[in-house]
Amino acid sequence: MEKWVPDVLIIGAGPAGLTAGRRLEQAGMKPLVLEKDEVVGGISRTVSHNGYLFDIGGHRFFTKVKPVEEFWHEVMQDDFLLRARSSRIFYAGKFFDYPLKPLNALFGLGLWTSLMVVLSYVYAHLFPIRDERSFEHWIINRFGARLYGIFFKTYTEKVWGTPCSQISAEWAAQRIKGLSLKTALIQALIGNGGRPKKKVIKTLIDSFHYPKRGPGMMWEKVAADLADQGHKVLLNTKVSKIRWVANSVQDLVVEQGDGLRTVTAPHVISSMPIRELIENLEPAAPAEVRRAAQSLKYRDFLTVAIVVDKEHLFSDNWIYIHDDSVRVGRIQNFKNWSPYMVPDPGKTCLGLEYFCFEGDGLWTMSDQELVDLARDELHALGLANRKDIENGTVVRMPKAYPVYDQNYAESVDVIREFIGTFENLQLVGRNGMHKYNNQDHSMLTAMLAVDNIRGAKHDLWSINAEQDYHEELTAKEVDQPDEYAAAALAASQPRVPKLVDVQGAMDQALIATFARLDKAALATAMGLVFGAFLLLVTVWSHVNGQPAAIAQLQLLSQYFYGYRVTYAGALIGFVYGFFWGFLFGWLLAYLRNLALGLYVTLIAHRARAPSVRRVLDYI
Amino acid sequence: MSDSLDTEQEILRKALVRFNSKILALVLGFMFGLTIFVATNWLVISGGHINASGERVIGPNLQLLSQFFIGYSVSFWGSVIGFFYAFALGTIAGSAIGWIYNRLVDLRDQ
Repeated sequence: MEKWVPDVLIIGAGPAGLTAGRRLEQAGMKPLVLEKDEVVGGISRTVSHNGYLFDIGGHRFFTKVKPVEEFWHEVMQDDFLLRARSSRIFYAGKFFDYPLKPLNALFGLGLWTSLMVVLSYVYAHLFPIRDERSFEHWIINRFGARLYGIFFKTYTEKVWGTPCSQISAEWAAQRIKGLSLKTALIQALIGNGGRPKKKVIKTLIDSFHYPKRGPGMMWEKVAADLADQGHKVLLNTKVSKIRWVANSVQDLVVEQGDGLRTVTAPHVISSMPIRELIENLEPAAPAEVRRAAQSLKYRDFLTVAIVVDKEHLFSDNWIYIHDDSVRVGRIQNFKNWSPYMVPDPGKTCLGLEYFCFEGDGLWTMSDQELVDLARDELHALGLANRKDIENGTVVRMPKAYPVYDQNYAESVDVIREFIGTFENLQLVGRNGMHKYNNQDHSMLTAMLAVDNIRGAKHDLWSINAEQDYHEELTAKEVDQPDEYAAAALAASQPRVPKLVDVQGAMDQALIATFARLDKAALATAMGLVFGAFLLLVTVWSHVNGQPAAIAQLQLLSQYFYGYRVTYAGALIGFVYGFFWGFLFGWLLAYLRNLALGLYVTLIAHRARAPSVRRVLDYI
Repeated sequence: MSDSLDTEQEILRKALVRFNSKILALVLGFMFGLTIFVATNWLVISGGHINASGERVIGPNLQLLSQFFIGYSVSFWGSVIGFFYAFALGTIAGSAIGWIYNRLVDLRDQ
């Protein structure tokens, strides 16, 4: 039997595992990659059906992380296409622009529905739901009940399998942040600093890179490169036991066919689902950690690939299906991702995506039943004629999405604390860390894990922690590209002397600019000054005044009843002056606050608008 | 439950302006001063009118300010003098308003 003597064992040959493998190989170390499936790529694989290629979920290659970008280009070279992004919403037999555009949506919905949408929007803003607990409340308060029902409810429930009324509002608020109000206010005050805003912002939204033959091409190439360098990527190799002693992984027991083998290495990088990792530990992890692992939930996913005998069906990369009469959530048109995905340009290969839970009704349907369902739904939607549909196949992808339920964060913290005590085990990737991340984030965790093996001290858990999700490149990111482009790195850097808090000063300046005037204080101050002014003028005139001047001042009595140019009149004048000064000051503050409040609300609305219009990206 | 934008708006909503009394004093001073300067010169340029005794009278009402602004008259040099008086008055009023407002805001904040 061949002897394996790796420096690092990598569990999983998805993007994270293979990234780690390539980085280790480039660093002159010996990785050994263990993959339980028969193909590499994890959820980023490319599947072939009669020569038609399809992607499990549709993977756009875009990133802010420079090393990831370089990695992709280094691997794919000329086989990396730059594609335009196009996706629309399909509802009631019509296509709607995505990101949502108000006029397009209103025209498409028809006069009556549009009227109801506008009325419900106005109603929601006049009478918002006070106790905003659920995702449903959150969206209704911002869009109105009608738009919520049309553009948010059905798709969200299809993806997550949970009623929107049971998804927390916090989830929506975390994912749909948009620009910060601060950024928007600064932009409103001083513009974009002369930068060509659109040129910067649009880059990642409107286009993306894509391997000629789907994402799997990338990972097959990485695996092949590793093999060329003499490093193994073992397929059909399942890690069944992770044996540990004194906070260190000793060895792994792996299943290959009917046989078991033991393999050991100084370091282990795991991208296997965190729940399985804990279950496979021997001796067993503490009960609290096992309970936490068992509480982690996943959303599963299956794609029905359908070959249609039509050259053109629709121009989008994918479309969102909002009709609740069908179960399909999203339809990919792989030919629009890359023309190399179909062997016959006269035909189209669609991927109908169904979100489900492992073991539920959809998951347990036979492949033929699922192909029939997909055929019926394509026909019912009017996207393809039943007679044009030639054949299809099904790919099931368990644990496609980690579920963020109410307990997940606490459970992950428990596991993280326990795993943190291991000296030679690092967790990476989406399921490896139970983080709903994109491919580039998974790859970044793998790169940092390799750095750690080589002596760095990165905190992998800080990647994407509480950071806003934006596909846009900000001006700062363009001006100051950071090697890892991740605020995450900051968390693991040594403390350095603190510089002047420029950010804090900017915050203070913004608050000073946009803060309210205290109505009562301004009214009182102006009242006192006006009153004192009238008192002094009256006394001065009474003592030194010429008759003409006194007569002129006396005219005030037409407005200030009882006022005279006398000492007593001076006191009466003070009261009147105070009253009118108070009124003037109060009104001044009120109107200024009102105008500023409207302005800030408008800015906030504009800041939120781009992200709410792209809400499906966050779901 | 609110998102970060709502939180930021809430922070702004709760924040109260503090005046810079010196700036407010200067602004009001210039406003008052310029008002007197322009108003006086407007009357000087417009030329006034001839009264029943055949004398040219320019701005008799504004002239009453000389009761308070010693040395002021409705003339170009009077407008310069009036500017300084009004500037002083505006400065005092502005700093008084700023000072009183800030004290009251501090009191209400405690």
